[in-house]
Amino acid sequence: MLKYLLKRSGIYLIMIFLTTSAGYFLAVSSLKPAVLEQEKIPRPTPEQVAASFRGLGLDPEKNAWERYVEWLGGIVTRWDWGRSPNGAYVNAEFADRVLVSTRLFIASIILTLIIGVALGVYSAARQYKFQDRVITSYSYLVHILPAPIAYFLVQLGAISINEAVGERLFFVTGISTPGIDPGWPAFVDLVAHYAVPTFAMTIFGWAGYQIAQRQYLLDNVNADFVRTARAKGLTRNQAIRKHALRVSFIPVAQSIAFTIPAIFTGGFFAEAIFAWPGIGLWSIQSIGLQDVNVATATLAYGSVIFAIGAILADFATTLVDPRVRVQ
Amino acid sequence: MTNIIDPIAEIDESRVADQDVVIGKSRIIFRRFLRNRTAVAGLFIFVALFLFSVFGGFLTPWDKETIDPLNIGMPPSPDHLLGTTQAGIDLMALIVDGTRTSILIGLIVGGISVLISAVYGCTMAFFGGKVDATMLFILEALIMMPAILVVAVATSGSGGLKNLPSWLLLVVVLLFFSWMGTARLVRSLSMSLMQRDYVKAAKYMGVPSRRIVWRHLVPNIGSLLVLDFTRGITGAILAEVAFSFIGIGIKLPDVSLGVLIGQATGQVSSFPWMFWVPLIVMFFLTGSLAMMNDGLRDAFDPSSSSIGRAKNKTAKVTTK
Amino acid sequence: MSTNTTPAERLRDAGLYAPGDAVLSVRDLNVRFNSENGVVHAVRGVDFDLMPGKTLGIVGESGSGKSVTSMAIMGLLPETADISGSVRFKGKELLGLSDKAMCKHRGSDIAMVFQDPLSSLTPVYTVGNQIIEALTVHNPTMSKQAKEARAVDLLRMVGIPSPKDRLKAFPHEFSGGMRQRVMIAIAIANDPRVLIADEPTTALDVTIQAQVLEVLHTAQEETGAAVVMITHDLGVVAGMADDIMVMYAGKPVETGTVEDIYYNPRMPYTLGLLGAVPRVDTATKQSLVPIEGTPPNLALPVTGCSFAARCPMVSDACLHGEPELISVPGSETGTLDHKAACIKSGELSGNADAHRIFHAPPKPVSKFDGVARTERDKVLELKDVKKHFPLLKGALIKRRIGTVKAVDGLSFDIREGECVSIVGESGCGKTTTLLEIMEFHPDQVGEVVIGGVSNKVATDHKTKMAMRKEMQMVFQDPTGALDPRFTVYEVLAEPLENLGMPKAAIKKRIMELMQLVGLQPDHVNRFPNQFSGGQRQRIGIARALAVNPKLVVLDEPVSALDVSVQAGVINLLDKLRAELGLSYLMVAHDLSVVRHISDRVAVMYLGKIVETGNVDDVFDNPRHPYTRALLSAIPVPDPNLERTRERIILQGDLPSPLDAPKGCNFATRCPVFAALPAAKQEKCLTLEPPLTSEAEGGQDFACFFPDGELDAEMLVVHA
Repeated sequence: MLKYLLKRSGIYLIMIFLTTSAGYFLAVSSLKPAVLEQEKIPRPTPEQVAASFRGLGLDPEKNAWERYVEWLGGIVTRWDWGRSPNGAYVNAEFADRVLVSTRLFIASIILTLIIGVALGVYSAARQYKFQDRVITSYSYLVHILPAPIAYFLVQLGAISINEAVGERLFFVTGISTPGIDPGWPAFVDLVAHYAVPTFAMTIFGWAGYQIAQRQYLLDNVNADFVRTARAKGLTRNQAIRKHALRVSFIPVAQSIAFTIPAIFTGGFFAEAIFAWPGIGLWSIQSIGLQDVNVATATLAYGSVIFAIGAILADFATTLVDPRVRVQ
Repeated sequence: MTNIIDPIAEIDESRVADQDVVIGKSRIIFRRFLRNRTAVAGLFIFVALFLFSVFGGFLTPWDKETIDPLNIGMPPSPDHLLGTTQAGIDLMALIVDGTRTSILIGLIVGGISVLISAVYGCTMAFFGGKVDATMLFILEALIMMPAILVVAVATSGSGGLKNLPSWLLLVVVLLFFSWMGTARLVRSLSMSLMQRDYVKAAKYMGVPSRRIVWRHLVPNIGSLLVLDFTRGITGAILAEVAFSFIGIGIKLPDVSLGVLIGQATGQVSSFPWMFWVPLIVMFFLTGSLAMMNDGLRDAFDPSSSSIGRAKNKTAKVTTK
Repeated sequence: MSTNTTPAERLRDAGLYAPGDAVLSVRDLNVRFNSENGVVHAVRGVDFDLMPGKTLGIVGESGSGKSVTSMAIMGLLPETADISGSVRFKGKELLGLSDKAMCKHRGSDIAMVFQDPLSSLTPVYTVGNQIIEALTVHNPTMSKQAKEARAVDLLRMVGIPSPKDRLKAFPHEFSGGMRQRVMIAIAIANDPRVLIADEPTTALDVTIQAQVLEVLHTAQEETGAAVVMITHDLGVVAGMADDIMVMYAGKPVETGTVEDIYYNPRMPYTLGLLGAVPRVDTATKQSLVPIEGTPPNLALPVTGCSFAARCPMVSDACLHGEPELISVPGSETGTLDHKAACIKSGELSGNADAHRIFHAPPKPVSKFDGVARTERDKVLELKDVKKHFPLLKGALIKRRIGTVKAVDGLSFDIREGECVSIVGESGCGKTTTLLEIMEFHPDQVGEVVIGGVSNKVATDHKTKMAMRKEMQMVFQDPTGALDPRFTVYEVLAEPLENLGMPKAAIKKRIMELMQLVGLQPDHVNRFPNQFSGGQRQRIGIARALAVNPKLVVLDEPVSALDVSVQAGVINLLDKLRAELGLSYLMVAHDLSVVRHISDRVAVMYLGKIVETGNVDDVFDNPRHPYTRALLSAIPVPDPNLERTRERIILQGDLPSPLDAPKGCNFATRCPVFAALPAAKQEKCLTLEPPLTSEAEGGQDFACFFPDGELDAEMLVVHA
């Protein structure tokens, strides 16, 4: 097993290296921070700009290859992912950003998984009945609604609740109110900030799991082994609960394992709409600010998390499916 | 974050893999499709929107550049059927233009990505071995790349790509990241088809490979490709809206539904029509495609009709 | 079943006559399903009584309603099925019970073994867990230790080695035969009074089938349960059953004791079925009895005898009113009256000749029949062909842990006009051999010569095309072998177009082909799914013959077909070989078919030929112990013979290639080896026996101790 994990990790490392390098070249050739400097007042001379960027390792006069070698050298020798045009170190800010994303996503991802799987089972048990049609239609509806718009609609709803009540029950953006008293008020403030994004991400997130769990379970409801279980003397429902459900969970477990690491990457749309300064928002903003190093670092981070998810998914399969268990 | 795995696509994959892709002729499929009312309704709505996006310009005397100084930020009125923006531009003209851009992006991305995935997937399956391994590696590396970042870099950058119109740039980038899933599906389906006895029979008759691919493989993955085409259109339209909404997709002066919706978010309470009208149009567009996709899937897959599967199976056994 | 009484009256009457001591009484069972084509009446009035400890065989082809009957008894049909009639267990009515109430009986009073052991066990639970579950359901108070001990006992009873350890194994770690044993263990866990076995051995190899039948036999002895054995194979039930019920189109058409049914059939369908099965134990070269046509569509109302459309004795009277199942005069012996649903059953008394009644064609004579084998040309020759695969282990990490010698040094030839068959268990390499021949590639290990062209020299396209024209293939699954998107015309045109034949000529040739294989020429524009299985196989044969090959490779050509249809296809193959002077290379697991159709046979075991020669020599006087075991594993449709026959039950499955001994491959399972003194065993374990013949003209075999004494433990006789 260990050998296998090492081998897979090795392949993914190569992939991450390639994608990150490709991303760096794309970023370096299209992001030109110097353009933004021109808009500053007083307007710096091109020489000043070049000099300040040279100090940051963002020398615009070097060609892409030279800068790549320099950048890569920094990472390999000092684990230094470079600096932003404003002088900030990428490494310094990274941890904070990850933490913000994690705080935003942890609750909703867990809720999404639980509700999605539970509803999937529930709707499969009531196939073609009213409840199933409502739940499944809702899931298909979510599929044709782009995530940012869905989040925005929830925000609108929260605002109108606030207006109707006449006081600010929910915060639709931001992490916390600055300068809040610690203790109970801080907790209330936390909940008020968490409620809207978590709600939005949860109700628009479970659809995929619901549909998948429903379909996998239905595929197994009439399986031969369920018939065997019934022939032993289990009722149909017992047989489905004990046998079909367990088997149908194999592919779902795989995709859950895949999703878990995503808690740490956050999401572009949610962070942008709810204004939480996590990894996703950082990467989008960095591109607006023509920040080559941050854009590449977040891209690399996304690839790493993907690879971890893929390996976890394999691992989960071996856990839940004895057929692929490795001795 | 949520777009890493598409569970629905995965279910389709498992279905396609374990089920005979036994389909009669296109006539039968067409008839089945027509029997599905939802699907036909979807087709109607889509065609209507398409015609609207092409000929809608004749419904209003205004175009998207002309400012009507008398009607600035006005709600729908006889002069401006859908109202005007806060700049005084006729919303109808903008919607026609935006719908056209969205449909165009959808069709181009959906169509070309299906082509790419079919060619890429078939090539992998057909050659196998080293070619397959290398191509699979490239494919997986591409899946790993967070597409949105690349979209953002490509469309926000000030490098050489800037010369393209922003919608075309978006098309190129979306294309780049839209074909991998299907390519993998095509690969596994083709591989299983290559194991079919009728393909072996043709091989043993000495039928050239090219002809086997053309006569046996392509028609049998056809249903998958058609389904993926409609799904690809939907995906591209949704992606465009999502990206433009947070400001990294299409840039003015190009107009799309996503741009219109995104621009209006700031003033939903004061100019609600500017937000809701393009949103509803988008909904009709993606909704009609989803309805058609559903009908097509039913038409291609005889076992997925809503009559219980167990019943069908037993009935088949007894009538044999 | 009379038509002018109400079901309730009939039930009451039947109840009066139902013997009081029957464990299971079924009366007027009817099952209807809704389908897209209307209501399908799948089971139409089944009656039977099952006495304690007795075995009832239900025989029928696919679609005859035999499985639906068993599922209806178990209450396992979907809720949408409409079931009427009566099913009584020890006098208690089971039909109409709720799922929950029925659960008290399922698994404890009535248990069932299903057809496909590979999918019938839940993959994610250990077999111990699944056996214990069956115990827990009906004995909630039983202690954990007691249950575990019982599970070990059960596994031992069904012959699973080291049962204690195997309790923790998962189903995928068992072979198909072993899984079926586990299924039987689950079924008998609660000492059921009735055990229903639905085609329990259909998916298994003959040697494994013999083992599983043996286990069923033991299980019945241990539990004293009455058994309902559902099968399409008349051989399987001949030795086991006391009574037989033959079903056709959802209805019993003949019932009686085994002797009645096998030796004195009174319904033309039964007669035809018996004549349609080739026999492994006799050398009679006679055509098989073909039953033309297909069973009726049960979605349509039945007006006359359901068999009328296929019956050679049909007359006008048969078409008016469905005949009832009535006692055949003069045969009231046995536990069951001999009954037949045929108005002409009287005409069939005595020794009715199925061949005459069903107009079986005469055995065709080939122009090569008179020519000595050595004087005929070789159409195919294999010289030391080998195919080795690396054996990989692990689902995720693939590492090579050995080599599978799928084909290990095979040499044989086929002469003009003869049929050579390769037989053996699945995994012995017979299919790989066919693929190696069909591949015909210069890089292969060993030489394949087809029509004088060797694979070593055939590098250019032209010679290869010439070779392809000489040899064509017919596949096992007639459905998978035809592209569902092609019409029959397109299917048949493909090989001809490939040769560049002009359009008009193609059309003419296709019409010829359709006639040749007995299909209506005006059906060329239909799609494969509009034909029955037998017709599809005929299309497959027509496609193979399109280019006038000399050699046709047949991969299990009839194993996917029903018995009555199979006979027609075999007769067709016989006829074509004689008329067109074809040679066949056939792979089959059904040795009766092999005996019927072949001139020569090669028995394969783990990639090697262990015995080969003329089919009658090998079958009548097998020398290699494996051949002897294989032949003895085949059940014969003759109850008296089956009951007295001594059979060799091989232990275990085909060994994994890793465990293959250095010397004789077969030593691990060999009944002769087991009986040898240790000094002689040494020879088997260290030296590889060569394939040679003992006498001039006799068969070749690879064994040091042919005709050796067999180990007593592996011999079984059922008195």
